[in-house]
Amino acid sequence: MADATTFTNDTQVLLPFKGVKKVAIEEYFTSGHRTCQGCESALVMKLMVKASGPRTIVLGSTGCMYVANTTYYTTPWVVPWMHTQLGSSGSAALGTAAGLKSLMKKGKMKSEPINVIAFCGDGGGADMGLGAISATLTHKEYNSLILLYDNESYANTDIQLSGLTPYGAHTTFSPPGAVKRIIHTRWKKNVAGMLAAGHPECRYVATVCASYAVEMMNKVRRALTIGGPTFIHSLDPCPKGWDYDPMLSHELGELAVETGIFPLYEVEDGVVKYYGKTKAIVEGRKRKPVREYLLKQGRFAHFNEEDLAYFQAKVDEMWENWDIPGVVSFRKAPADIPMPS
Amino acid sequence: MAVATKPGGGTTVHDDQEMLISGSEAVAEALTLADIDVVTAYPIRPYDTVMQAIAKKIANGKLVAEYIVAEGEHSQFEIVKHASTVGARVFCGSSGVGWMYAMEAITVTPALRVPMVALVGNRALDDPGAFGVEHNDALSVRDLGWLLVWIDTAQEALDTTLIAYRVAEDRRVFLPVAISADGAFLTHSQTITRVPPQGRVQQFLPAYNRGDLLLHPDNPITVGPQVNEDWVIEIRRQNDEATRRSYGVIEEAYADFRRVFGRGPENPWFEEYMTEDADIVLMGMGTLSLPVKVAIRNLRKQGKKVGLIRLRWFRPFPYEQLARALQHAKAIGVIDRDYSFGSPFGSGVVATEVRAALYNADHRPPLIGFICGLGGREVTLEDVSKAVDICYAAANAGRAERPTYWLGVRE
Amino acid sequence: MAHLTVEVVYRGIFQKNLAARITRGIVLSARKAGRWGIAFGRYGDSPQRNGIPAKDFAIVADTQEELEQHMARYEPKELQVTICVDDTLCKGVESWAWYGLQPINRLLDVGGHLLVTSTRSPSELLRDIHKKETPYNLWILPAKASFSGLWVFKEDHTEARILGALAKIASEFLSIDAVCAATREAEWGSELKAESARKAYERADGRRIQITEGNDEVPFSFEMPKWWEMREGLTIPAIPVGKPVEGGKGYRPERNPYFKKFTTRTMRPVVNFDTCVKCTLCWIQCPDSVFDVTPDGLYDANMDACCGCGVCEAVCPVKDCITMVNEAAFDDNQSQWEMWRQDKDAYRVWSNEKIKDKVTTVRSHGFRYRGQYEEELSKGPIEMGGTPVIQGIPGENAKAKA
Repeated sequence: MADATTFTNDTQVLLPFKGVKKVAIEEYFTSGHRTCQGCESALVMKLMVKASGPRTIVLGSTGCMYVANTTYYTTPWVVPWMHTQLGSSGSAALGTAAGLKSLMKKGKMKSEPINVIAFCGDGGGADMGLGAISATLTHKEYNSLILLYDNESYANTDIQLSGLTPYGAHTTFSPPGAVKRIIHTRWKKNVAGMLAAGHPECRYVATVCASYAVEMMNKVRRALTIGGPTFIHSLDPCPKGWDYDPMLSHELGELAVETGIFPLYEVEDGVVKYYGKTKAIVEGRKRKPVREYLLKQGRFAHFNEEDLAYFQAKVDEMWENWDIPGVVSFRKAPADIPMPS
Repeated sequence: MAVATKPGGGTTVHDDQEMLISGSEAVAEALTLADIDVVTAYPIRPYDTVMQAIAKKIANGKLVAEYIVAEGEHSQFEIVKHASTVGARVFCGSSGVGWMYAMEAITVTPALRVPMVALVGNRALDDPGAFGVEHNDALSVRDLGWLLVWIDTAQEALDTTLIAYRVAEDRRVFLPVAISADGAFLTHSQTITRVPPQGRVQQFLPAYNRGDLLLHPDNPITVGPQVNEDWVIEIRRQNDEATRRSYGVIEEAYADFRRVFGRGPENPWFEEYMTEDADIVLMGMGTLSLPVKVAIRNLRKQGKKVGLIRLRWFRPFPYEQLARALQHAKAIGVIDRDYSFGSPFGSGVVATEVRAALYNADHRPPLIGFICGLGGREVTLEDVSKAVDICYAAANAGRAERPTYWLGVRE
Repeated sequence: MAHLTVEVVYRGIFQKNLAARITRGIVLSARKAGRWGIAFGRYGDSPQRNGIPAKDFAIVADTQEELEQHMARYEPKELQVTICVDDTLCKGVESWAWYGLQPINRLLDVGGHLLVTSTRSPSELLRDIHKKETPYNLWILPAKASFSGLWVFKEDHTEARILGALAKIASEFLSIDAVCAATREAEWGSELKAESARKAYERADGRRIQITEGNDEVPFSFEMPKWWEMREGLTIPAIPVGKPVEGGKGYRPERNPYFKKFTTRTMRPVVNFDTCVKCTLCWIQCPDSVFDVTPDGLYDANMDACCGCGVCEAVCPVKDCITMVNEAAFDDNQSQWEMWRQDKDAYRVWSNEKIKDKVTTVRSHGFRYRGQYEEELSKGPIEMGGTPVIQGIPGENAKAKA
């Protein structure tokens, strides 16, 4: 029986990797997962646990990073991993952390800081499981990271639109047709900003992209070190759902950032800090036109010039008219950008 | 696997403490004795009095546990499910549509072999909203691998909670147990209850040991990989086997309970009241036992030989024991505080299961189902009397005129 | 034949729509002659993933009753025709974990027919195709693999030509007139496609393959545990931690033994160890953790694990250091770094030969930009998929390498 007085609520101290050559060499998510060629979400999994190290428990909600990885009755995970339900990433993180904490406090388990990471896709996180994530982010006494990997669709069920699917994208629930060219007219929800703004005691929220691997891993390490519940939103190009040559996966991640469509930032104790190419944009670097990104993907092949102009205008507005550009949509002045007919 | 408990210190119960508490509060007492580690709360009547009682115990330092108020029942049950996989002893509960809101989590818990204990404060399902007792909430999971037990007194609530952890956490079982307590009648009514001392409980209930299924960096595993048709039936077979093993484990647990605490039923499966010479045997679950027993005493004064079997364990269903216990009856009246629309003969759930249990028996007395007491309406002495008359008519005729009656409906 | 069962073996997602057109086309063609049929994708393949081998089926029969007889087994265990629409699948398919490596001709009954789209000769294909215990026939439709994606389709008439060739293979069951009629009427059909079908029919040629011909390799397989051998609680052991390669240096991760994934690839990276600057980008950006770190700090793509996505080539900053080459050009999965270590000169010769001829080694891999497929088809013979676009490598480093 361990000594109950040795328990502290400390986290592991994971310092940032100082460059790509200092990155840990070990793999805790290894080869042999049934994901698409060029799956950036799989890359996120690999980098996530490479950053966290072996004293980690991962909870994976239903989605590609469940089904594809473990098809069938198999696993690519080296660290302990457990499936959880589609809307349960928040509750899985909370339950796991609370269970460990209780046992350690009472001396029923050896005390040590164990990373608890629960991941969800855009469907499971921004749609179904948003409530549970929100609740978990208010429980500052439990340390966990919730990572939302966003491939902009319910990808595992063969590509249906979610609350994070971009305007107009072709999915099986939004096929362009003879009468309705655009079924999905909704604009993407801003999850990271929303969660950062709405949970004042959540110490860390960040957006990442695996194309910038070292920064992505360092955000994971920061989230696991800072203490309390934390949230990271990762944008993952998806060859299947976005329809492109898998070889383009890395480049599309970069383009999403360079066009300003996906801003990279962290919010630590309420302070917003842009990083990477987004920082350059904030400091005046010109954003690449969105069409450079959109027209490399089959899911936007049906866009006409009006759609492209609309998309550009919305992204421009986010940078030029928001009080905190790219982060939260409180505006300097009302903006009305009419949607194409 | 042998259970390590120290030999009991005799059969006295002098060291029990008497308390005037409700069924919910009795469960809270048992949870304190069981030293649970994580509990999640969400408000819905009538079960949530147990969560209020637990909150007080935690605030006063009587119980040390992580007490988390969830934002919905689905999260509530998911949180404790995950806490259990890392080795925490957990408790949860709900009622009515709250239980239904958690249904996805409730479904996966037995499949994952998570030995949680839940209190279901049985309540009518919406729509319409009604707080009174019906059993359909807990019964809705009867196929999924949950063990289901119905209690009728605060004492039974306390004792059964301890037994539930003992059974659930037995490695041969590792299945969740739902304890059903009739809303209002049991959850809220306060009666004299004996609360045993902690030391005695430790003789009966060993620590929760998840063994090689523990989710921890020292035991690297993957839990719940995706499967296809090559794997599912084997996995279901494992749950089938565990449920079969639970029969023996339940009997062991009750025997050990009697040894350690000096009280408790000889027969874990059901309570038999005046059945030895009964012509008519009534059956039911939960607190309807009280009006039924009073009615039976009255009827006996009139010379009618009636008895009651109050079923405790609905899952695993004690079909062999029941078939034996019912074989001398001239007619059986099953009072269902539930409904099962479209079932064979339109009978309630318990009646349908008892009929199935008797299918292979040499002697199959006429069996009549009585739907009664829904939504908190009382099962009255008049209801029971009417049911007994109908059973007598069937016994004399050798067959039931109708297989199902709805009792107490304004018609 | 009173019934005809056909499978289409194809690259998941890239050829999903193509396979569906073929199997539906078979049923609709047979319907022209008053026959009954069913077309379906294999449920276990779904959700499909880019490149992972998948199967669709079509069963046609003279009567409803005969059709039911052959539908009783959901996934056919033997059939008359296997259509393979990417010749790299001839090395065998591994569709999911515990599936093992299944030869492309595994389900063919005696004297069955394997129809492959390929620009290679039968003897070249037979270096890949495993030996079979019974004879079968091999037909080749001269064509490059037709790749698209979920939303934009490359209209290169492959489905029509396959159906045309099938009319010759299964002539008792499908007439070319029926195929042409069905092709004209299909949602994706046209008069031009009907002509393509007819041309393919006229040119189709096959030859008998004896039991002595083919690849000798014994494909790997697994035996599934019994219900009481499986650990309870839906629990399986994790993959063990990786180890150094040699002398405590380097790193090779342990990998999932039940799903290797190498049959997913249609191209493999060829690495130039002499020009590598050890930037680590290929190693870190590979979604499949394919690169073993060698004791001398180089990066060796493990050929049992590589699924051929090409991201490594895209991120590599050095020109011609990593080059994706058609998988058809290779016979085994041996380690390139070991080859290089043993004889650097021989390796240079070997690897230069593999990467030099981009026009034939480059192959279709999906959508790159809007208008690409139309551009390709307008510039070359449609039977060859037009002229493939090979304009520079995408990625941040493209300009530096161009």
